[in-house]
Amino acid sequence: MPTPTSPVTGHARTPGRASPPVPAPWRRLTSLEVLCAVLVLALLAQRPLSRILDVPAIRTGATVFVAVCVQAMPFLVLGVLVSGLIAAFVPPSALRRVLPRRTSAAVPVAGVAGMLLPGCECASVPVSRRLMQQGVPPAVALTFLLAAPAVNPVVLVSTVVAFPGEPRMVAARFLGSLGTAVVMGWLWTRFGRVEWIAKRALRQPPRYPDRGALAVFTETARHDLVASGGFLVLGGLTAAALNVLVPASWMASLAGQVLLGILVLALLAVVLALCSEADAFVAASLSMLPLPPRLVFLVVGPAVDVKLVALQAGAFGRGFAARFAPLTFVVAIGCAVLAGVLVLGGVR
Amino acid sequence: MRRETQNVLLVLLGGALLKIAWTGSYLRYVKPSLLPFLVAAGMVILALGMVAIGRDLRAGRASDIGHGEHAGRSPWLLLLPVLAIFLVSPPALGADAVARSAGAVPVPERSIDFPPLPAGPAPALRMSDFVTRAVWNSTSLHGRDVRLLGFVVHDTDGGSYLARLVIACCAADATPLKVRLTGRDGLAGLPQDGWFEVRGQVVPGSAGPDSRFVPALTVSELRPAPAPAAPYEF
Repeated sequence: MPTPTSPVTGHARTPGRASPPVPAPWRRLTSLEVLCAVLVLALLAQRPLSRILDVPAIRTGATVFVAVCVQAMPFLVLGVLVSGLIAAFVPPSALRRVLPRRTSAAVPVAGVAGMLLPGCECASVPVSRRLMQQGVPPAVALTFLLAAPAVNPVVLVSTVVAFPGEPRMVAARFLGSLGTAVVMGWLWTRFGRVEWIAKRALRQPPRYPDRGALAVFTETARHDLVASGGFLVLGGLTAAALNVLVPASWMASLAGQVLLGILVLALLAVVLALCSEADAFVAASLSMLPLPPRLVFLVVGPAVDVKLVALQAGAFGRGFAARFAPLTFVVAIGCAVLAGVLVLGGVR
Repeated sequence: MRRETQNVLLVLLGGALLKIAWTGSYLRYVKPSLLPFLVAAGMVILALGMVAIGRDLRAGRASDIGHGEHAGRSPWLLLLPVLAIFLVSPPALGADAVARSAGAVPVPERSIDFPPLPAGPAPALRMSDFVTRAVWNSTSLHGRDVRLLGFVVHDTDGGSYLARLVIACCAADATPLKVRLTGRDGLAGLPQDGWFEVRGQVVPGSAGPDSRFVPALTVSELRPAPAPAAPYEF
């Protein structure tokens, strides 16, 4: 039996127990045993735990947390299934044949290809990581990562429904989001460095030559789900905490202030971490604000939010997320304002 | 984290999603239209965990798949939604969420041509329908009794409201709709978060910028009602 190297030592719920200072005569606790212990403890402590959580603010936060997780899980599952399919059935050579040889030309192609994945941001992270592992240049995969959640048909239709009297809003959102994705791709082509991306993200997935494609598919999907699921939960926790802590009354004081409104709504898009299929409805409800700030909200949200940054840090490493997310934030605001000027006719 | 533990976590997570889909408590968190995707996601997660467990059992303990690739500590976080769903089962959002979003009252962007109210002495209206009509000061409401279903919220300003939350996708994007209850004594004594069916008439012109687009309702009848299975409007 292999020595378990699981990081139980860092597990917060059983401090001290898992890492004896001297090698114990008996084997170390495995993570499976820790899991069982946690489950039994949680069952025993259910009543006192529920009483502690029975504070209105914590109840609201818990509901928002579960809601974000439950809402995002189907999209994450879609993403890991697509990722598994690519790993099992799409050889790297096929991807290279489809994409233009020059990276700068492949970037816009990847942006438009984002229309093909009808999911929100949680689905696009595992897929774009898989694309990178299959030899697609990082700039191209990152363009896909930013474009897919924002320009797919489901999101565009929900935007049409949310803004019934404003068809220009859909066009502006499409242009702003596609622009963000393509500009970020080109910036990465010019300035990006491979070493910013964690090595594990670029490593070729283990090949199982003795196993069928089906086994590769299920193993890849399982691995991606475990690897990114935890970060989705982390993002859900952050979004729930901010949802409870950031007073919504800030909004009301912004009426009529376009520049401040743009900045605040961009930040709000980051902290609320709404699913890109829902954000149009929220933007529509912020009707005390003019359209350009709300457009910024729609362009920034699918490109940068706390849930997505957590997923990116998990998939590509913290060093990557620390550089990529702030730059995307700035580029997305710029592209949204530009699209607003071009399509909506000026920042009024 | 060991591969076996990851698989057990996946089985638990898939089971948790299927549980809330089966019991209907998913309606506290997301829209009804997500149900098929929720069931599918739960079954896929469950199946991925079970298939991996089965493969490991068949291959014996010395299974080589996935060894040497440790996903680090992050998979432990998957335990949080599992525990939250099985043990805590957070309730639907209520008065606390309404109070939190006090500043952001949605002004619906709809056309002003409203169809007439349903016939009958006191038709039941969706809260969103009533508030939209009242905000546009639609004459379709004037002089008509309507029935509304919602929960009671007492504001810090001493007002008592009947409220309902509207979600577009999940509970994270909930926005409140409120109707101020007037014309009756003892409204302040109603239990916070208690569900009521209220019959009454709109106070014409009450939903303006001064009231932050919250209409007022002159209450003629008020009785406790069971909380609906789908607590949010869409």
